[in-house]
Amino acid sequence: MQFQNEIKSNEVIVFADASLYSKDSIFKCLYWYGDKFHTNVSFADSGTYRVSLKPISTNQLSNLELELLLQKLERDLIDFNLRDIVTKETQNVRDLLIAKAFSNGEFDEMPPGNVSDPVGFNVNKVAND
Amino acid sequence: MIDAIPDKISRKFKEKDQFDLNRNSQYYLLPFRFHRLTDEKEIIVNEVGDYLILSNGTFESIVKRKLDKEKDKDLYGDLIANFFISEELIPPLIDVLATRYRTKKLFLNYFTGLHIFVISLRCEHTCHYCQVSRVTQNRDLYDMSLSNIDKGIDIMFKSPNPHVTMEFQGGEALLAFDHIKYAVEKAEQIAIEIGKGLTKVICTNLALINEEILEYCKEHDILISTSLDGPKYVHDKNRNKPNASSYELAIKGIELSRKLLGHDRVSALMTTTKLSLDYPTEIVEEYFNLGFQGIFLRNISPYGFALRTDTSKYETEKFLAFYKKALDRILEYNFSGYHFTEDLAKIFLTKILTPFNVGFVDLQSPAGLINGVIVFNYDGGVYATDESRMLAEQKDYTFKLGTLNDDYNDLFFGRKAQEIAQLWANEALTGCSECAFQQYCGADPVHNHATQGDMYGYRPNSDFCQKNMEIIRYLIELMESDSRIKRIFESWAKTATH
Ligand code: SF4
Repeated sequence: MQFQNEIKSNEVIVFADASLYSKDSIFKCLYWYGDKFHTNVSFADSGTYRVSLKPISTNQLSNLELELLLQKLERDLIDFNLRDIVTKETQNVRDLLIAKAFSNGEFDEMPPGNVSDPVGFNVNKVAND
Repeated sequence: MIDAIPDKISRKFKEKDQFDLNRNSQYYLLPFRFHRLTDEKEIIVNEVGDYLILSNGTFESIVKRKLDKEKDKDLYGDLIANFFISEELIPPLIDVLATRYRTKKLFLNYFTGLHIFVISLRCEHTCHYCQVSRVTQNRDLYDMSLSNIDKGIDIMFKSPNPHVTMEFQGGEALLAFDHIKYAVEKAEQIAIEIGKGLTKVICTNLALINEEILEYCKEHDILISTSLDGPKYVHDKNRNKPNASSYELAIKGIELSRKLLGHDRVSALMTTTKLSLDYPTEIVEEYFNLGFQGIFLRNISPYGFALRTDTSKYETEKFLAFYKKALDRILEYNFSGYHFTEDLAKIFLTKILTPFNVGFVDLQSPAGLINGVIVFNYDGGVYATDESRMLAEQKDYTFKLGTLNDDYNDLFFGRKAQEIAQLWANEALTGCSECAFQQYCGADPVHNHATQGDMYGYRPNSDFCQKNMEIIRYLIELMESDSRIKRIFESWAKTATH
C-alpha cells in the first residue's frame, strides 16, 4: 500500500519503508525532536513505519513552519539512516581500532603481503643477513 | 648473500595502473561521522578528527557505494588517504590509525594533574553571582586546616602523573596566604624527594597583592591567575568590592605582578555575565590593550540559572552572538599582524587541525573530572571539579567523592567515581555517539546535572551541546570561507601544541 507523508491537524506524519530504514535510525532521529515535539512511532502496516511529530503546547507552529518541519523530518530520517549504516558496518573495525590503540602491542600485526624491494630483492633476508 | 625472489617480478618501470590492485571500485567504510554544515556543504569527520568538507549529497554517495574510482578520482583518493574508506576489510595501515587514536587520547596516560586546594572560603568581595564565598573573619571555620593541607598534599603525590599542579583558590586565596606558604613549602620538599614535577598557581582577585607576597611568589616560582571581566564598567559591576574599585585593584595588581614576576607569569580569566554580553568588542580590546596574548571567552556560568527553560536557549543564543562578535574583533587584530588568540577556539582548533588533543576538563572524553582535576575543599571534602564544590555550597553533594580522610583508591576509583565514569565519555552518550563533532567536543556530567537535573544530559536542549556544536561549525565555516582565517587558526593551533 502506498502511504503519503502529510500534515494533519497540527501533526507531521512521515512513512518509512521498514526494509530501507532501520528502527534504530528512526529512534535516533526522533531523539533530537523530543524537546519540542511529542514523538510517536508505530506500524502503518507490517512493512511501514508511521513516524509522527506533534508540537508540545508551548511550541505553536504556523502552516509554513509545519511544512518546513515535514521537510526537515524527511531529510533527517534519511541522514540518520545513512549514519546508522556507517555505524553498523564499521562497528567491528572501530572496536579493533580502539583495542589496538589502548593495547600494549598484543593486537599489532605485520603489514599484510610480502615486503619487497622494487628491484626484486628479498628484503627480509637482507635484513637478517 | 642476497637472494632474488624468483616468483616476484619487479614492479619498476611498469605503467601507473599496474599499481592499482583494486580496479573494480569495491570499498569498505571505515568509522566516520557526518554533519550538514549549510545547504550546500556537509562535513565528515573520522575517528581521529580528520575532516573533509564535501558538497551536499556526497555522504550519501559514499555510503551507498555510488562513488566511481575513476570518475571521482580525487575524492576517492582523499577518502582512502584520510581513512574514511578502505579497499580492504581491515585497512592495511590500521596500526597507524590506532597510533593516531592513541595520540588523541594521550591525556589519559597521566591521570590527575590539577589539584585544586580551596584554601579559604573567605572573601573581601561581595560579587552578586558568587554563591560560594563568605565575608567573615572566622578563619577556623572557613580556612583549610593545616592537617587537611597535609592530607591533600599526600593524596596529590599519590597521583601517577609525573607532573602535578597545585592551584590555590578561594574565596580569596590570599586571605589565607600563611596557609599557602605552608602548603607550598611542604609540597616542594616532597616533590624534590620523590622526583615529581610541581607547578604552583594562586588564583586571586589581586586586591590584597603586595610586594612581599610577590617576592615570595618569585622565590617559589608561583604563577598568578587573576580575574578580569573587561573594562571598568563591566568588571566593577560584576565584582562588587565595598568602598573600592575591584577593577583598579586588579589592574594595579597585574602591573605589579608583571613587574616583579615577569609578564608571562600572570594570566587572567573572565567570567561572562549577562552584563558582559553587551560588550564583546570592549572586553576583547581591554585584554589586548593590557598586553595579554589572548582571551578565553567563557560561557555564562550555569550555577544559579535554571537552564531547562526557554530563557536558557535565549541565553545561549545571546552568548553565541557575543562570542562571534568578540571573535571578529580578535581576527581583526590578527589581520593587522598581531598574534592574539581566543582560547576556546584554540582548544577546538588544536583538535580539528592537529594530530594532538588538549586536556581541558569539559572538552575531553572521557571527561577531565577525576582524570585530570580534583578539588580539595576548605572543609576537607573532595570533589570531582570546581563546579562540583559550588553545587555543594547549594547543598547538592552529588559530586562529592569523599573526604581527605579517605583512601586514595576509594576517592579516585570508588563507587561515586565509577558511577560518574558510566557517562563521562561522549562516544557512549545518546546524541553524541553519532555526532560529527564528537572528537572535538567532550562530556560534562557536572554541567548536565546542574542544568538538566541528571548527569546523562539531554542533548536536544542542552546549552553545552548547542554552544559547542555551533562554535565548532562556525570555526570550520570561517576557515573554509577565508584562507587568511585558516592560516591564522593554524598558527593558533600550532602555539597550543608547543
Ligand atoms: S555535546 Fe553536542 S556537539 Fe558535543 S558531541 Fe555531543 S552532540 Fe556533538
